[in-house]
Amino acid sequence: MTRNAVPEHVPQNLVRDFSIYTSPGMERTPNGCPHAAMGYVHNFPPIFYSPSNAFDGGGTWVVTRAEDQRRILGDPATFSSRRGHFEKSMGEEFVIVPLESDPPAHTFYRTLLNPLLSPKRVEAMEAGARERAVRLIEAFKAKGSCEVMNDFAYPFAVGVFLQFLGIDESRRPEFLGWADELLHGTNEQRQAAMKIVAGFIRDLVEQRKGEPTDDFISFLLKASVEGRALTDPEMVGMGVLMFVGGLDTVAMAIGFDLYHLAREQKDQARLRADHDIIRPAVEELFRAYATITPLRRVTQDTVFDGVPMKKGDVVSCPTMIANRDPSEFPEPDRIDFDRENNRHTTFAYGPHRCIGSHLARRELIIGLEEFLNRIPTFRLKPGEAPITYGGYVFGVENLVLDWT
Amino acid sequence: MKIKVDFKKCQGNARCWSLAPDVYKLDDSGYILDGDIEVLPGQEAVARRGARACPERALTVEGED
Ligand code: SF4
Repeated sequence: MTRNAVPEHVPQNLVRDFSIYTSPGMERTPNGCPHAAMGYVHNFPPIFYSPSNAFDGGGTWVVTRAEDQRRILGDPATFSSRRGHFEKSMGEEFVIVPLESDPPAHTFYRTLLNPLLSPKRVEAMEAGARERAVRLIEAFKAKGSCEVMNDFAYPFAVGVFLQFLGIDESRRPEFLGWADELLHGTNEQRQAAMKIVAGFIRDLVEQRKGEPTDDFISFLLKASVEGRALTDPEMVGMGVLMFVGGLDTVAMAIGFDLYHLAREQKDQARLRADHDIIRPAVEELFRAYATITPLRRVTQDTVFDGVPMKKGDVVSCPTMIANRDPSEFPEPDRIDFDRENNRHTTFAYGPHRCIGSHLARRELIIGLEEFLNRIPTFRLKPGEAPITYGGYVFGVENLVLDWT
Repeated sequence: MKIKVDFKKCQGNARCWSLAPDVYKLDDSGYILDGDIEVLPGQEAVARRGARACPERALTVEGED
């Protein structure tokens, strides 16, 4: 593991080798379970410093306890969301709002966007999403086998996103291509794809200025924050954020959940026998297979539980680590659909709690319901190995299921 | 059974509503409505589960912590 210099203010006894990309179980692993593999960090100090954990190879603090993560994510004055790494890594002039903003500006953005993704709005999207899931599943059902990510998870998530944006279904293949490069491409491909997505949203904004409809962009064009209209870069940033946030994460959650059910036949049988369990089961699966790691930047020198942090330090709060914190979740590696007190942080916490959480949850419930309704008992296809990996978005691919 | 709602704590996670939609009512932005909730007989178990799922600890079952 490459190791950068440890900043002087970091006590040596708090330094641990850890990388969300390259630690054991984090690199591409056949038949892996990166979430469980991460568990050993609970033997480290509750907050430790890893010299090689950040996007750019730099160091971060790693917060391992659920309660500490909540305290940090709930204190935007000390732990800012303006990390600036999107702008830096993409060389784009748009700002990823609301993600890269802090209160009070953040509050204005959120107040504006919340109703669009509220539980009630999501209910209105339910029929379309269900119909989409059914259509996708029926297309591969007779084959007796499917590759979950490409045959189901991505097209489903992309389709729901297009519906949300108000874009015609015929553009789905195009979007799928971008999504694929954005999520699985090389660094150059990712940047190129991001530019294409941003360009697409930018064009859409121009188009809607001329002929408003009742879609997301038209809504943004009419909206005002702090008594002024949104700027073009703000609208592009919001559109891009919705695309990135709503695609990868939902697709990966579907993947990990079906991967789990393929391996744990008892759990699969239980969901088949009792559909009422699906909702709490989805919540437990969210806990067990969290995907993202919120990052914050320290705004002023501070001592947090005796840990000295300096202005500019990056603090990472991997949700998958908090969700397997044994001090909050007894037997954290046991997936238990009856688990009470399931206070997982999969959608993060505090002001930046995932705005798409209601939609994501709905997509997962619909996806599992329809999959279990239509596909008989499934398992991993012998001879194929799903590949899992860590990183700032945990993922799974080549997930081939079989029900012949 | 009664659920006490600490409205100020609610962050709109809607976890309560997701698990017990008949017990917990949300406003248009996804926040819980203010005011304590009288749980109907037969709904105690889901109500309890919904309350425990609230990550902000905004919901307490009366008589319990
Ligand atoms: S789960 Fe808690 S935070 Fe969420 S809507 Fe219900 S009361 Fe509010």
